[in-house]
Amino acid sequence: MIDKFVHIIRIYFAEAWLSYQGRFAITSPFGYIAGKLGFPFFLMLFFIFMGKYVGFSDPLYIVIGNILLIPAASGMGGVTLAIGEERQWGTLSYVLGSPAPRSPVFMGRAFYYIVDGFVTALLGFAIAAAIFGLDLSQVNILLLMICSLLVAVTSSGLGFLFGSISLVTRDGWMILNTFLSFLYIMVGVNFPITSLPLMLQKLSWGLPLTRGIMAARLVMEGEEWSAIRSLIAGEALIGLIYILIGYLFFIFLEKRSMQSGTLDAM
Amino acid sequence: MTSFRWGLIKQQMSVQFLVRTLNPFFLGLFVIQPAVFSAVGMLLSRAAGNSTPDLVYNVIGGGIMGMWSGLVFTSTYDILGDRRNGMLELIVGSPTSLNLIEAIRTLTNVLAGLFSLTLAFMAAILVFGYTFTGVNFWGVLISLVILLFSMWSIGVFLANFLAWSRLSGTFVDYLEMPIAFLCGFMYPIRVLPVWLQYISGAVPIRWALEAMNESLLGSFDLHYLVVHWLMAIGLSIVFIVLTSWMQAKVHDSIRLSGELSSI
Repeated sequence: MIDKFVHIIRIYFAEAWLSYQGRFAITSPFGYIAGKLGFPFFLMLFFIFMGKYVGFSDPLYIVIGNILLIPAASGMGGVTLAIGEERQWGTLSYVLGSPAPRSPVFMGRAFYYIVDGFVTALLGFAIAAAIFGLDLSQVNILLLMICSLLVAVTSSGLGFLFGSISLVTRDGWMILNTFLSFLYIMVGVNFPITSLPLMLQKLSWGLPLTRGIMAARLVMEGEEWSAIRSLIAGEALIGLIYILIGYLFFIFLEKRSMQSGTLDAM
Repeated sequence: MTSFRWGLIKQQMSVQFLVRTLNPFFLGLFVIQPAVFSAVGMLLSRAAGNSTPDLVYNVIGGGIMGMWSGLVFTSTYDILGDRRNGMLELIVGSPTSLNLIEAIRTLTNVLAGLFSLTLAFMAAILVFGYTFTGVNFWGVLISLVILLFSMWSIGVFLANFLAWSRLSGTFVDYLEMPIAFLCGFMYPIRVLPVWLQYISGAVPIRWALEAMNESLLGSFDLHYLVVHWLMAIGLSIVFIVLTSWMQAKVHDSIRLSGELSSI
Protein backbone atom coordinates (compact mmCIF):
# COMPACT_ATOMS: atom_id res chain seq x y z
CA MET A 1 0.00 0.00 0.00
CA ILE A 2 2.78 2.40 1.01
CA ASP A 3 4.86 1.29 -1.98
CA LYS A 4 1.96 2.02 -4.30
CA PHE A 5 1.46 5.45 -2.75
CA VAL A 6 5.19 6.27 -3.06
CA HIS A 7 5.06 5.06 -6.67
CA ILE A 8 2.18 7.42 -7.46
CA ILE A 9 3.91 10.36 -5.77
CA ARG A 10 7.12 9.58 -7.66
CA ILE A 11 5.26 9.54 -10.99
CA TYR A 12 3.55 12.79 -10.04
CA PHE A 13 6.76 14.71 -9.38
CA ALA A 14 8.71 13.04 -12.18
CA GLU A 15 6.01 14.18 -14.60
CA ALA A 16 6.05 17.66 -13.08
CA TRP A 17 9.81 17.99 -13.58
CA LEU A 18 9.75 16.55 -17.11
CA SER A 19 6.87 18.82 -18.01
CA TYR A 20 8.81 21.85 -16.80
CA GLN A 21 11.92 20.80 -18.72
CA GLY A 22 10.00 20.01 -21.87
CA ARG A 23 7.99 23.18 -21.88
CA PHE A 24 10.34 25.92 -20.82
CA ALA A 25 13.94 24.67 -20.94
CA ILE A 26 14.07 25.29 -24.71
CA THR A 27 12.87 28.86 -24.55
CA SER A 28 14.81 32.02 -23.74
CA PRO A 29 14.29 34.13 -20.58
CA PHE A 30 12.68 36.80 -22.77
CA GLY A 31 10.25 34.32 -24.28
CA TYR A 32 9.40 32.97 -20.86
CA ILE A 33 8.78 36.38 -19.27
CA ALA A 34 6.92 37.70 -22.32
CA GLY A 35 4.71 34.63 -22.33
CA LYS A 36 4.02 34.70 -18.63
CA LEU A 37 3.66 38.41 -17.96
CA GLY A 38 3.68 40.20 -21.31
CA PHE A 39 0.31 39.14 -22.65
CA PRO A 40 -1.59 39.50 -19.33
CA PHE A 41 0.08 42.87 -18.71
CA PHE A 42 -0.90 44.39 -22.05
CA LEU A 43 -4.35 42.79 -21.90
CA MET A 44 -4.81 44.37 -18.50
CA LEU A 45 -3.69 47.80 -19.82
CA PHE A 46 -6.10 47.39 -22.72
CA PHE A 47 -9.00 46.75 -20.35
CA ILE A 48 -7.92 49.60 -18.07
CA PHE A 49 -8.04 52.11 -20.94
CA MET A 50 -11.32 50.63 -22.18
CA GLY A 51 -12.65 51.20 -18.68
CA LYS A 52 -11.19 54.71 -18.50
CA TYR A 53 -12.92 55.65 -21.77
CA VAL A 54 -16.36 54.47 -20.66
CA GLY A 55 -15.97 56.05 -17.21
CA PHE A 56 -15.21 52.96 -15.09
CA SER A 57 -13.42 54.71 -12.28
CA ASP A 58 -11.62 51.84 -10.54
CA PRO A 59 -8.61 50.67 -12.58
CA LEU A 60 -7.25 48.68 -9.62
CA TYR A 61 -10.34 46.47 -9.84
CA ILE A 62 -9.22 45.45 -13.34
CA VAL A 63 -5.59 45.11 -12.23
CA ILE A 64 -6.39 42.71 -9.37
CA GLY A 65 -8.81 40.62 -11.43
CA ASN A 66 -6.41 40.18 -14.30
CA ILE A 67 -3.51 39.25 -12.04
CA LEU A 68 -5.65 36.55 -10.42
CA LEU A 69 -6.53 35.20 -13.84
CA ILE A 70 -2.85 34.35 -14.45
CA PRO A 71 -2.66 31.35 -12.06
CA ALA A 72 -6.09 30.22 -13.21
CA ALA A 73 -5.08 30.27 -16.87
CA SER A 74 -1.87 28.43 -15.98
CA GLY A 75 -3.76 25.75 -14.07
CA MET A 76 -6.24 25.20 -16.88
CA GLY A 77 -3.71 25.41 -19.67
CA GLY A 78 -1.30 23.06 -17.89
CA VAL A 79 -3.57 20.04 -17.88
CA THR A 80 -5.04 20.76 -21.32
CA LEU A 81 -1.57 21.10 -22.84
CA ALA A 82 -0.40 17.93 -21.08
CA ILE A 83 -3.03 15.90 -22.91
CA GLY A 84 -3.31 17.94 -26.10
CA GLU A 85 0.41 17.98 -26.87
CA GLU A 86 0.75 14.21 -26.39
CA ARG A 87 -1.95 13.87 -29.00
CA GLN A 88 -0.38 16.44 -31.29
CA TRP A 89 3.00 14.67 -31.25
CA GLY A 90 1.42 11.25 -31.62
CA THR A 91 2.60 9.93 -28.25
CA LEU A 92 -0.72 9.79 -26.42
CA SER A 93 -1.32 6.15 -27.27
CA TYR A 94 2.04 5.21 -25.68
CA VAL A 95 1.26 7.13 -22.50
CA LEU A 96 -2.19 5.58 -22.20
CA GLY A 97 -0.81 2.17 -23.09
CA SER A 98 1.66 2.32 -20.19
CA PRO A 99 0.80 0.83 -16.78
CA ALA A 100 1.18 4.22 -15.01
CA PRO A 101 -2.04 5.51 -13.45
CA ARG A 102 -3.56 8.40 -15.44
CA SER A 103 -4.23 10.79 -12.60
CA PRO A 104 -0.62 11.37 -11.40
CA VAL A 105 0.68 11.43 -14.96
CA PHE A 106 -1.53 14.28 -16.14
CA MET A 107 -2.05 16.09 -12.84
CA GLY A 108 1.71 15.88 -12.28
CA ARG A 109 2.24 17.75 -15.51
CA ALA A 110 -0.11 20.44 -14.29
CA PHE A 111 1.87 20.80 -11.05
CA TYR A 112 4.58 22.98 -12.52
CA TYR A 113 2.04 25.18 -14.28
CA ILE A 114 0.12 25.66 -11.05
CA VAL A 115 3.26 26.62 -9.10
CA ASP A 116 4.46 28.77 -11.98
CA GLY A 117 1.11 30.58 -12.27
CA PHE A 118 1.01 31.11 -8.53
CA VAL A 119 4.52 32.63 -8.44
CA THR A 120 3.73 34.76 -11.52
CA ALA A 121 0.61 36.11 -9.82
CA LEU A 122 2.61 37.10 -6.73
CA LEU A 123 5.16 38.77 -8.99
CA GLY A 124 2.26 40.48 -10.77
CA PHE A 125 1.00 41.90 -7.46
CA ALA A 126 4.49 43.26 -6.68
CA ILE A 127 4.72 44.86 -10.15
CA ALA A 128 1.19 46.27 -9.84
CA ALA A 129 2.12 47.76 -6.47
CA ALA A 130 5.08 49.52 -8.11
CA ILE A 131 3.32 50.67 -11.31
CA PHE A 132 -0.29 51.26 -10.27
CA GLY A 133 0.27 52.18 -6.64
CA LEU A 134 -1.53 49.09 -5.39
CA ASP A 135 -1.41 49.43 -1.60
CA LEU A 136 -0.31 46.14 -0.04
CA SER A 137 0.48 47.54 3.42
CA GLN A 138 -2.88 46.51 4.92
CA VAL A 139 -3.00 43.20 3.08
CA ASN A 140 -2.62 39.83 4.79
CA ILE A 141 -0.09 38.40 2.30
CA LEU A 142 -0.54 34.82 3.53
CA LEU A 143 -4.29 34.96 2.82
CA LEU A 144 -3.61 36.51 -0.58
CA MET A 145 -1.22 33.65 -1.36
CA ILE A 146 -3.84 31.11 -0.28
CA CYS A 147 -6.41 32.72 -2.59
CA SER A 148 -3.99 32.78 -5.55
CA LEU A 149 -2.97 29.16 -5.03
CA LEU A 150 -6.58 28.10 -4.59
CA VAL A 151 -7.74 29.60 -7.89
CA ALA A 152 -4.80 27.90 -9.65
CA VAL A 153 -5.74 24.50 -8.18
CA THR A 154 -9.51 24.79 -8.64
CA SER A 155 -9.14 25.89 -12.24
CA SER A 156 -7.07 22.79 -13.03
CA GLY A 157 -10.36 20.86 -12.74
CA LEU A 158 -11.58 22.78 -15.77
CA GLY A 159 -8.24 21.98 -17.39
CA PHE A 160 -8.97 18.27 -16.95
CA LEU A 161 -12.35 18.79 -18.57
CA PHE A 162 -10.88 20.61 -21.58
CA GLY A 163 -7.92 18.24 -21.70
CA SER A 164 -10.38 15.36 -21.93
CA ILE A 165 -11.96 17.03 -24.92
CA SER A 166 -8.48 16.87 -26.52
CA LEU A 167 -8.89 13.09 -26.52
CA VAL A 168 -11.67 13.29 -29.07
CA THR A 169 -10.81 16.45 -31.00
CA ARG A 170 -7.65 18.22 -32.09
CA ASP A 171 -9.25 21.55 -31.18
CA GLY A 172 -9.07 21.11 -27.39
CA TRP A 173 -6.60 23.99 -27.03
CA MET A 174 -8.77 26.27 -29.15
CA ILE A 175 -11.85 25.38 -27.11
CA LEU A 176 -9.94 26.14 -23.89
CA ASN A 177 -8.75 29.50 -25.25
CA THR A 178 -12.28 30.41 -26.22
CA PHE A 179 -13.47 29.48 -22.74
CA LEU A 180 -10.62 31.49 -21.19
CA SER A 181 -11.75 34.57 -23.06
CA PHE A 182 -15.26 34.09 -21.62
CA LEU A 183 -13.67 34.30 -18.17
CA TYR A 184 -12.91 37.99 -18.86
CA ILE A 185 -16.67 38.41 -18.65
CA MET A 186 -17.96 35.67 -16.39
CA VAL A 187 -16.01 35.54 -13.12
CA GLY A 188 -15.65 39.15 -12.03
CA VAL A 189 -12.22 39.83 -13.50
CA ASN A 190 -12.90 43.24 -15.04
CA PHE A 191 -16.16 44.32 -13.40
CA PRO A 192 -18.38 43.06 -10.58
CA ILE A 193 -20.54 40.10 -11.57
CA THR A 194 -23.56 42.17 -10.52
CA SER A 195 -23.11 44.03 -13.83
CA LEU A 196 -23.93 40.82 -15.69
CA PRO A 197 -27.47 39.93 -16.77
CA LEU A 198 -29.19 37.86 -14.06
CA MET A 199 -28.92 34.55 -15.90
CA LEU A 200 -25.17 34.99 -16.39
CA GLN A 201 -24.79 35.91 -12.73
CA LYS A 202 -26.26 32.53 -11.77
CA LEU A 203 -23.92 30.79 -14.19
CA SER A 204 -21.00 32.73 -12.75
CA TRP A 205 -21.61 31.32 -9.27
CA GLY A 206 -21.32 27.82 -10.69
CA LEU A 207 -17.82 28.43 -12.05
CA PRO A 208 -14.49 28.10 -10.27
CA LEU A 209 -12.66 31.43 -9.74
CA THR A 210 -15.72 33.59 -9.00
CA ARG A 211 -15.52 33.06 -5.24
CA GLY A 212 -11.72 32.85 -5.19
CA ILE A 213 -11.35 36.19 -6.96
CA MET A 214 -13.99 37.72 -4.71
CA ALA A 215 -12.12 36.45 -1.62
CA ALA A 216 -8.83 37.85 -2.92
CA ARG A 217 -10.45 41.23 -3.49
CA LEU A 218 -11.69 41.24 0.11
CA VAL A 219 -8.17 40.39 1.30
CA MET A 220 -6.84 43.28 -0.79
CA GLU A 221 -9.31 45.52 1.04
CA GLY A 222 -7.76 44.43 4.34
CA GLU A 223 -10.30 41.80 5.38
CA GLU A 224 -9.22 38.80 7.45
CA TRP A 225 -9.94 35.05 7.38
CA SER A 226 -13.37 35.32 9.00
CA ALA A 227 -14.65 37.47 6.12
CA ILE A 228 -13.47 35.15 3.35
CA ARG A 229 -13.93 31.76 5.04
CA SER A 230 -17.18 30.90 3.32
CA LEU A 231 -15.94 32.08 -0.08
CA ILE A 232 -12.79 29.98 0.24
CA ALA A 233 -14.80 26.91 1.29
CA GLY A 234 -17.18 27.45 -1.65
CA GLU A 235 -14.29 27.87 -4.09
CA ALA A 236 -12.60 24.70 -2.81
CA LEU A 237 -15.86 22.75 -3.09
CA ILE A 238 -16.60 23.96 -6.62
CA GLY A 239 -13.02 23.22 -7.63
CA LEU A 240 -13.21 19.72 -6.18
CA ILE A 241 -16.44 19.04 -8.09
CA TYR A 242 -14.85 20.18 -11.35
CA ILE A 243 -11.71 18.10 -10.74
CA LEU A 244 -13.89 15.04 -10.08
CA ILE A 245 -16.11 15.66 -13.12
CA GLY A 246 -13.02 16.33 -15.23
CA TYR A 247 -11.35 13.11 -14.14
CA LEU A 248 -14.48 10.99 -14.70
CA PHE A 249 -14.99 12.63 -18.08
CA PHE A 250 -11.37 11.86 -18.94
CA ILE A 251 -11.78 8.18 -18.03
CA PHE A 252 -15.01 8.00 -20.05
CA LEU A 253 -13.48 9.62 -23.14
CA GLU A 254 -10.30 7.58 -22.82
CA LYS A 255 -12.34 4.38 -23.05
CA ARG A 256 -14.38 5.77 -25.90
CA SER A 257 -11.37 6.95 -27.89
CA MET A 258 -9.63 3.59 -27.36
CA GLN A 259 -12.67 1.79 -28.74
CA SER A 260 -12.88 4.10 -31.74
CA GLY A 261 -9.07 4.16 -32.27
CA THR A 262 -9.03 7.95 -32.55
CA LEU A 263 -6.39 8.61 -29.86
CA ASP A 264 -3.75 10.03 -32.17
CA ALA A 265 -6.01 11.00 -35.03
CA MET A 266 -5.21 14.48 -36.28
CA MET B 1 4.92 35.92 -66.20
CA THR B 2 2.13 38.25 -65.13
CA SER B 3 -0.57 35.64 -65.78
CA PHE B 4 1.48 33.08 -63.81
CA ARG B 5 1.50 35.39 -60.80
CA TRP B 6 -2.22 36.03 -61.08
CA GLY B 7 -2.72 32.28 -61.12
CA LEU B 8 -0.52 31.91 -58.08
CA ILE B 9 -2.36 34.67 -56.25
CA LYS B 10 -5.77 33.20 -57.10
CA GLN B 11 -4.73 29.68 -56.14
CA GLN B 12 -2.99 30.70 -52.92
CA MET B 13 -5.89 32.87 -51.83
CA SER B 14 -8.53 30.26 -52.57
CA VAL B 15 -6.61 27.62 -50.60
CA GLN B 16 -6.09 30.04 -47.72
CA PHE B 17 -9.77 31.00 -47.62
CA LEU B 18 -10.80 27.35 -47.72
CA VAL B 19 -8.50 26.50 -44.83
CA ARG B 20 -9.83 29.45 -42.83
CA THR B 21 -13.44 28.50 -43.47
CA LEU B 22 -13.04 24.91 -42.34
CA ASN B 23 -10.94 25.54 -39.23
CA PRO B 24 -12.78 26.25 -35.96
CA PHE B 25 -9.69 28.04 -34.63
CA PHE B 26 -10.46 30.92 -36.98
CA LEU B 27 -14.05 30.99 -35.85
CA GLY B 28 -12.66 31.73 -32.39
CA LEU B 29 -10.32 34.41 -33.73
CA PHE B 30 -12.65 36.21 -36.08
CA VAL B 31 -15.98 35.79 -34.30
CA ILE B 32 -15.83 34.73 -30.67
CA GLN B 33 -12.86 36.74 -29.43
CA PRO B 34 -14.06 40.06 -30.91
CA ALA B 35 -17.52 39.38 -29.49
CA VAL B 36 -16.00 38.79 -26.04
CA PHE B 37 -13.96 42.02 -26.21
CA SER B 38 -17.05 43.92 -27.28
CA ALA B 39 -19.00 42.37 -24.41
CA VAL B 40 -16.30 43.40 -21.91
CA GLY B 41 -16.46 46.96 -23.28
CA MET B 42 -20.24 47.06 -23.04
CA LEU B 43 -20.34 45.57 -19.54
CA LEU B 44 -17.62 47.94 -18.33
CA SER B 45 -19.76 50.74 -19.71
CA ARG B 46 -22.76 49.32 -17.86
CA ALA B 47 -20.75 48.98 -14.64
CA ALA B 48 -19.78 52.64 -15.06
CA GLY B 49 -23.47 53.56 -15.12
CA ASN B 50 -23.91 54.25 -18.85
CA SER B 51 -27.26 53.18 -20.25
CA THR B 52 -26.05 52.55 -23.81
CA PRO B 53 -22.71 51.28 -25.10
CA ASP B 54 -20.44 53.26 -27.40
CA LEU B 55 -21.12 51.57 -30.73
CA VAL B 56 -18.08 52.84 -32.61
CA TYR B 57 -15.47 51.84 -30.03
CA ASN B 58 -17.19 49.01 -28.14
CA VAL B 59 -18.82 47.18 -31.02
CA ILE B 60 -17.06 48.11 -34.26
CA GLY B 61 -13.77 48.33 -32.34
CA GLY B 62 -14.29 44.64 -31.51
CA GLY B 63 -14.29 43.94 -35.25
CA ILE B 64 -10.98 45.78 -35.64
CA MET B 65 -9.63 43.68 -32.78
CA GLY B 66 -10.75 40.54 -34.65
CA MET B 67 -9.04 41.72 -37.84
CA TRP B 68 -5.76 42.32 -36.04
CA SER B 69 -5.83 39.11 -33.94
CA GLY B 70 -6.70 37.18 -37.08
CA LEU B 71 -3.78 38.69 -38.97
CA VAL B 72 -1.25 38.08 -36.20
CA PHE B 73 -2.27 34.52 -35.42
CA THR B 74 -3.08 33.27 -38.89
CA SER B 75 0.20 34.62 -40.27
CA THR B 76 2.09 33.12 -37.34
CA TYR B 77 0.44 29.73 -37.51
CA ASP B 78 0.74 29.50 -41.28
CA ILE B 79 4.49 29.71 -41.13
CA LEU B 80 4.83 27.76 -37.89
CA GLY B 81 2.72 25.04 -39.50
CA ASP B 82 5.01 25.03 -42.54
CA ARG B 83 8.01 24.77 -40.25
CA ARG B 84 6.48 21.98 -38.19
CA ASN B 85 5.41 19.98 -41.23
CA GLY B 86 8.78 20.39 -42.93
CA MET B 87 7.29 22.51 -45.72
CA LEU B 88 9.28 25.68 -45.08
CA GLU B 89 12.45 24.24 -46.63
CA LEU B 90 10.51 23.21 -49.73
CA ILE B 91 8.91 26.64 -50.07
CA VAL B 92 12.26 28.44 -49.70
CA GLY B 93 13.80 26.02 -52.19
CA SER B 94 11.01 26.44 -54.75
CA PRO B 95 11.25 28.92 -57.66
CA THR B 96 8.46 31.06 -56.20
CA SER B 97 9.97 33.28 -53.54
CA LEU B 98 8.93 32.95 -49.93
CA ASN B 99 8.36 36.72 -49.88
CA LEU B 100 5.76 36.51 -52.62
CA ILE B 101 3.99 33.63 -50.93
CA GLU B 102 4.01 35.49 -47.61
CA ALA B 103 2.76 38.68 -49.28
CA ILE B 104 -0.20 36.80 -50.79
CA ARG B 105 -0.92 34.94 -47.59
CA THR B 106 -0.85 38.14 -45.56
CA LEU B 107 -3.17 39.82 -48.04
CA THR B 108 -5.58 36.88 -47.71
CA ASN B 109 -5.38 37.02 -43.93
CA VAL B 110 -6.04 40.76 -43.93
CA LEU B 111 -9.03 40.31 -46.24
CA ALA B 112 -10.31 37.41 -44.12
CA GLY B 113 -10.30 39.82 -41.19
CA LEU B 114 -12.97 41.84 -42.99
CA PHE B 115 -15.37 39.07 -42.01
CA SER B 116 -14.87 40.07 -38.39
CA LEU B 117 -15.42 43.75 -39.16
CA THR B 118 -18.53 42.96 -41.22
CA LEU B 119 -19.98 40.97 -38.32
CA ALA B 120 -19.25 43.85 -35.94
CA PHE B 121 -21.05 46.30 -38.26
CA MET B 122 -23.97 43.87 -38.57
CA ALA B 123 -24.16 43.51 -34.79
CA ALA B 124 -24.08 47.30 -34.42
CA ILE B 125 -26.87 47.75 -36.99
CA LEU B 126 -29.11 44.76 -36.26
CA VAL B 127 -28.67 44.36 -32.49
CA PHE B 128 -28.00 47.91 -31.33
CA GLY B 129 -29.84 49.88 -34.00
CA TYR B 130 -26.77 51.77 -35.26
CA THR B 131 -27.65 54.10 -38.13
CA PHE B 132 -25.25 55.61 -40.58
CA THR B 133 -26.81 59.03 -40.11
CA GLY B 134 -24.15 61.71 -40.28
CA VAL B 135 -21.37 59.28 -41.08
CA ASN B 136 -18.66 60.38 -43.50
CA PHE B 137 -19.13 57.40 -45.81
CA TRP B 138 -16.25 58.13 -48.18
CA GLY B 139 -14.01 58.91 -45.23
CA VAL B 140 -14.80 55.51 -43.72
CA LEU B 141 -14.26 53.72 -47.02
CA ILE B 142 -10.91 55.36 -47.82
CA SER B 143 -9.72 54.92 -44.22
CA LEU B 144 -10.68 51.25 -44.35
CA VAL B 145 -8.70 50.62 -47.52
CA ILE B 146 -5.69 52.39 -45.98
CA LEU B 147 -6.18 50.42 -42.76
CA LEU B 148 -6.03 47.17 -44.74
CA PHE B 149 -2.89 48.36 -46.49
CA SER B 150 -1.31 49.30 -43.12
CA MET B 151 -2.13 45.90 -41.66
CA TRP B 152 -0.72 44.17 -44.74
CA SER B 153 2.53 46.15 -44.52
CA ILE B 154 2.99 45.13 -40.89
CA GLY B 155 2.01 41.55 -41.69
CA VAL B 156 4.71 41.14 -44.36
CA PHE B 157 7.23 42.84 -42.07
CA LEU B 158 6.50 40.33 -39.30
CA ALA B 159 6.64 37.39 -41.73
CA ASN B 160 10.39 37.92 -42.01
CA PHE B 161 10.83 37.32 -38.31
CA LEU B 162 8.69 34.20 -38.52
CA ALA B 163 10.85 32.75 -41.27
CA TRP B 164 14.06 33.81 -39.55
CA SER B 165 13.90 31.57 -36.52
CA ARG B 166 11.60 29.37 -34.48
CA LEU B 167 12.11 31.51 -31.37
CA SER B 168 11.63 34.90 -33.03
CA GLY B 169 8.40 33.52 -34.44
CA THR B 170 7.03 32.92 -30.97
CA PHE B 171 7.57 36.60 -30.06
CA VAL B 172 5.24 37.72 -32.81
CA ASP B 173 2.35 36.18 -30.84
CA TYR B 174 2.98 38.70 -28.10
CA LEU B 175 2.39 41.66 -30.41
CA GLU B 176 -1.35 41.11 -30.47
CA MET B 177 -2.18 43.05 -27.33
CA PRO B 178 0.59 45.72 -27.33
CA ILE B 179 -0.48 46.94 -30.79
CA ALA B 180 -4.17 46.79 -29.88
CA PHE B 181 -3.43 48.74 -26.70
CA LEU B 182 -1.16 51.33 -28.38
CA CYS B 183 -3.38 51.94 -31.39
CA GLY B 184 -6.60 52.33 -29.42
CA PHE B 185 -8.59 49.59 -31.09
CA MET B 186 -11.46 49.96 -28.62
CA TYR B 187 -10.98 53.45 -27.24
CA PRO B 188 -9.89 56.79 -28.68
CA ILE B 189 -6.15 57.35 -28.69
CA ARG B 190 -6.55 60.51 -26.58
CA VAL B 191 -7.30 58.26 -23.56
CA LEU B 192 -3.65 57.18 -23.53
CA PRO B 193 -0.98 59.23 -21.76
CA VAL B 194 0.73 61.65 -24.16
CA TRP B 195 4.06 59.77 -24.21
CA LEU B 196 2.26 56.60 -25.27
CA GLN B 197 0.49 58.52 -28.01
CA TYR B 198 3.91 59.48 -29.39
CA ILE B 199 4.99 55.81 -29.40
CA SER B 200 1.78 54.72 -31.10
CA GLY B 201 2.50 57.33 -33.78
CA ALA B 202 5.06 54.92 -35.27
CA VAL B 203 2.38 52.34 -36.10
CA PRO B 204 0.51 53.07 -39.36
CA ILE B 205 -2.60 51.22 -38.16
CA ARG B 206 -3.15 53.89 -35.50
CA TRP B 207 -3.47 56.71 -38.09
CA ALA B 208 -5.79 54.83 -40.44
CA LEU B 209 -7.94 53.65 -37.55
CA GLU B 210 -8.19 57.12 -36.04
CA ALA B 211 -9.33 58.49 -39.40
CA MET B 212 -11.90 55.69 -39.75
CA ASN B 213 -13.31 56.18 -36.25
CA GLU B 214 -13.55 59.96 -36.70
CA SER B 215 -15.32 59.42 -40.05
CA LEU B 216 -17.74 57.03 -38.35
CA LEU B 217 -18.37 59.66 -35.70
CA GLY B 218 -19.25 62.14 -38.45
CA SER B 219 -16.05 64.12 -38.97
CA PHE B 220 -15.78 65.79 -42.39
CA ASP B 221 -12.57 67.64 -41.49
CA LEU B 222 -10.67 66.93 -44.70
CA HIS B 223 -7.37 68.31 -43.42
CA TYR B 224 -7.48 66.01 -40.37
CA LEU B 225 -8.38 62.99 -42.47
CA VAL B 226 -5.80 63.61 -45.21
CA VAL B 227 -3.02 64.09 -42.65
CA HIS B 228 -3.98 60.79 -41.01
CA TRP B 229 -4.22 58.95 -44.34
CA LEU B 230 -0.83 60.27 -45.45
CA MET B 231 0.76 59.32 -42.14
CA ALA B 232 -0.66 55.79 -42.43
CA ILE B 233 0.47 55.40 -46.06
CA GLY B 234 3.90 56.91 -45.38
CA LEU B 235 4.59 54.69 -42.38
CA SER B 236 3.32 51.63 -44.25
CA ILE B 237 5.79 52.37 -47.04
CA VAL B 238 8.55 52.67 -44.42
CA PHE B 239 7.61 49.18 -43.17
CA ILE B 240 7.61 47.83 -46.73
CA VAL B 241 11.05 49.33 -47.41
CA LEU B 242 12.33 47.85 -44.14
CA THR B 243 10.86 44.49 -45.15
CA SER B 244 12.63 44.57 -48.52
CA TRP B 245 15.89 45.48 -46.81
CA MET B 246 15.55 42.64 -44.31
CA GLN B 247 14.47 39.96 -46.77
CA ALA B 248 17.89 39.31 -48.29
CA LYS B 249 19.50 39.23 -44.86
CA VAL B 250 16.88 36.84 -43.50
CA HIS B 251 17.30 34.53 -46.49
CA ASP B 252 21.07 34.47 -46.04
CA SER B 253 20.61 33.86 -42.34
CA ILE B 254 18.19 30.95 -42.69
CA ARG B 255 20.36 29.29 -45.32
CA LEU B 256 23.40 29.54 -43.05
CA SER B 257 21.72 28.58 -39.78
CA GLY B 258 19.73 25.70 -41.26
CA GLU B 259 16.93 26.67 -38.90
CA LEU B 260 14.16 26.20 -41.44
CA SER B 261 12.97 22.87 -40.17
CA SER B 262 13.88 23.56 -36.55
CA ILE B 263 10.83 23.25 -34.37
